[in-house]
Amino acid sequence: MPEIAMSARGVSHAYGVPGSASHVATLDDVSLDVRRGELLALIGPSGCGKTTLLNMFASLVRPLRGTIEVDGQPVTGPMPRKVAFVFQEHALFPWNTIRDNIGLALKFQGVAKPEAAERAAHALEAVGLADFADHFPGQLSGGMKQRASLARALSLDTEFILMDEPFAALDEQTRIVLGEDLSALLSRTRKTIVFVTHSLGEAVLLADRVAIFSARPGRITGIIDIDEPHPRRSQFATSEKFNRLRGDIFGLLHDEIRKSIDDSVHRRSGAAA
Amino acid sequence: MNDAAAPAGNGQGRLVQLLFYVAVLAGWYAVTRAGLVNPIVLPPLDKVLAAIPGVVASAQFGADLATTLFEVFCAFVLAAVAGLLVGYVVGRSPRRIAEYEPLLSAVYAVPLVLFFPLFVLFFGLGIASKVAIGAAIAFFPIVLNTIAGFANVNPVHLAAARLMGASPGQIMRHVMVPSALPVVTTGLRMGLIVALLGCLGTETIAATGGLGYRMVALAELMDTVEEYAYIVLIIVIAALLNALAGWAEARAHRLMGAR
Amino acid sequence: MAAAATSALPVREGPARPVRLLRGRVVVILVLLAVWEIGARFFVSPHFASPPSEMLLALPSMLATKGVPAALALSFGELVAAFAVSVAIGLPLGLLIGLSGASRRTLLPIVFLLYAIPQITVLPLIIMLSGIGPAAKIVFGVTHAVFPIIFTLAASVGEVDRTLVKFARITGASSWQVFRYVTFPYAVPSFFNGMRLAMVGAILGVLLAELYVSSAGIGFYTRLFADSFQTPKLFALVFVLAAMAVVLNEIMRRAEIRFSRWRNG
Repeated sequence: MPEIAMSARGVSHAYGVPGSASHVATLDDVSLDVRRGELLALIGPSGCGKTTLLNMFASLVRPLRGTIEVDGQPVTGPMPRKVAFVFQEHALFPWNTIRDNIGLALKFQGVAKPEAAERAAHALEAVGLADFADHFPGQLSGGMKQRASLARALSLDTEFILMDEPFAALDEQTRIVLGEDLSALLSRTRKTIVFVTHSLGEAVLLADRVAIFSARPGRITGIIDIDEPHPRRSQFATSEKFNRLRGDIFGLLHDEIRKSIDDSVHRRSGAAA
Repeated sequence: MNDAAAPAGNGQGRLVQLLFYVAVLAGWYAVTRAGLVNPIVLPPLDKVLAAIPGVVASAQFGADLATTLFEVFCAFVLAAVAGLLVGYVVGRSPRRIAEYEPLLSAVYAVPLVLFFPLFVLFFGLGIASKVAIGAAIAFFPIVLNTIAGFANVNPVHLAAARLMGASPGQIMRHVMVPSALPVVTTGLRMGLIVALLGCLGTETIAATGGLGYRMVALAELMDTVEEYAYIVLIIVIAALLNALAGWAEARAHRLMGAR
Repeated sequence: MAAAATSALPVREGPARPVRLLRGRVVVILVLLAVWEIGARFFVSPHFASPPSEMLLALPSMLATKGVPAALALSFGELVAAFAVSVAIGLPLGLLIGLSGASRRTLLPIVFLLYAIPQITVLPLIIMLSGIGPAAKIVFGVTHAVFPIIFTLAASVGEVDRTLVKFARITGASSWQVFRYVTFPYAVPSFFNGMRLAMVGAILGVLLAELYVSSAGIGFYTRLFADSFQTPKLFALVFVLAAMAVVLNEIMRRAEIRFSRWRNG
């Protein structure tokens, strides 16, 4: 029986006043278990609440109903020693070098200076950015910024890493390469990772399990097991198995994506009336 | 109100400005040489330039310069302290911004110079009335820019810092201040410039000393050569102050990432 | 990433209602008025400051003072004239400078340079050339107001979305049509922004010139009331001028918002 590291039980969430035009139900009675040591992908159409659920695990959002637990404890606030978060827009401070960015994160966590410097150097080494340690984020490409963001999360040495579409802003080729690197990196550690993505290929390539969301209000319509050991190689991406799994996910997703587009069109025209 | 004082910005622009200066000076020289203008209105360039060293060395100029600079300094410091404080308090709360920013913008649009007679009545003809009006005028660009700076801190950065375990003090020091710094320094630069212009302008209306006062006094005495010497010096001093403020602002902007 | 309510009650979101917004502002204004009233009445000699109540009471007699309404009307006229002249000069200049990259690069730096010169240095010269009548005030107002029009217009004409222009050309639009249907509408919000700044400048220039000339016009009456310590009347006069400035400003601000609707959503 795999150990449950994080869980969501009966979680619901909405914005706005019920009954009014601005009311949006984002999550509807969602329950999900995250196993210790796994890489779990959350995928679904826009607005399905997958990022909201991720934010709940991070303590950025509170559920309206239901419970969120990490390591058996309900989530009440930031857990800098347990959970690291990688934002879609990398969230590196543009006024610090990437070395200082990582150093600052460790300082916030409460790590002493000498150890922090060592961990920062180590993390930069691990993502291949050691030569750019004293550059500013503004001087780096999108891919490098995301790698730096990843390095920051890794340096924190937390058991859990949450990632919100970490590769969304990158072109496909960079995504594939970074995905490989991530897979290699993670096979060496026993971290529990939950990440949100729009990319079917990315989900299958990286994840151990993929949770598929319906259109708004988000429910989990299915969880697909990717039974393939880490580190994942690029050969996996062109294999029969990969295509089959990708097709399975797409089948579950397609109708939901249709629904969410129709829904947003309705909202636009409804709001204009 | 000179809040567009951001200059040409690039090499070519500066070259054009330089050429323009030269052309104006050449024109001035030519026109007065040819006797086309009454020397009471526009004295010859060479005479004015010759008079400048004497003026600069004079005790009167020293006193006037000290008076004006002191007024500007006091006005700026007062405006900066008040503007930064109020700007921070208002800027961190969307509710307060919605309530008070329109009020501040509305007052900013009114030339506060028209309240100067009231300041003279209350503070007298001396330095205090100039400091008061200068501070009042300079307060607004500072406070409005500070509000904007602190209002526009990227919420993602704040969330990231909180998640990483930063204390409120650390968030302030490592996220909010660096994030707001570029806009705040722009406001401070604008504040310094309008403080200078405000002090100079009001000195011409009612004062007992200072560069603006002296310029007008010389005009009234028909001592046009000295008057124009003062005008040239005022323009130079304003340009220097502008350049200094602009340099400080650019430095702060560069510190924030795009080096 | 706002934190929603933890209870089972629904989240109440939405903008603060307008009435509540007004309350904060009204409170601040009332507090300031109270401080002014009490401070001026009890803590300062009536020679040096008037409380708002006295100021309002003096309003009628101030307006009845011989020559004051004429001076006010004259100032207002100078303002409008300065503004109109600034637009008449600034609009074509701004367009011409803005339409070509070359002219933007060569002429705009000069415009900025002129704008950066402390205008006060030009005032004695203007007075010497135009005398102490309305002409000098209008000219000084124009020197403050014309620049914002020129550079906001030149900047916006110069930064029209290249994609839109390309699209227009590809579909066969002539240069005039590109200007009329792409560049011009794009520049309208900036033009109104420039006009608002110009109004602020015109008010500043005209009033500064008026106060400088203390032998006639508003400047004369401010000096008269100040020297004879008719303090409530002085306050009343300044109040009327401020009100005039606020009203003119508000008109320009609303015009700017109205014509910038497509840009600000």
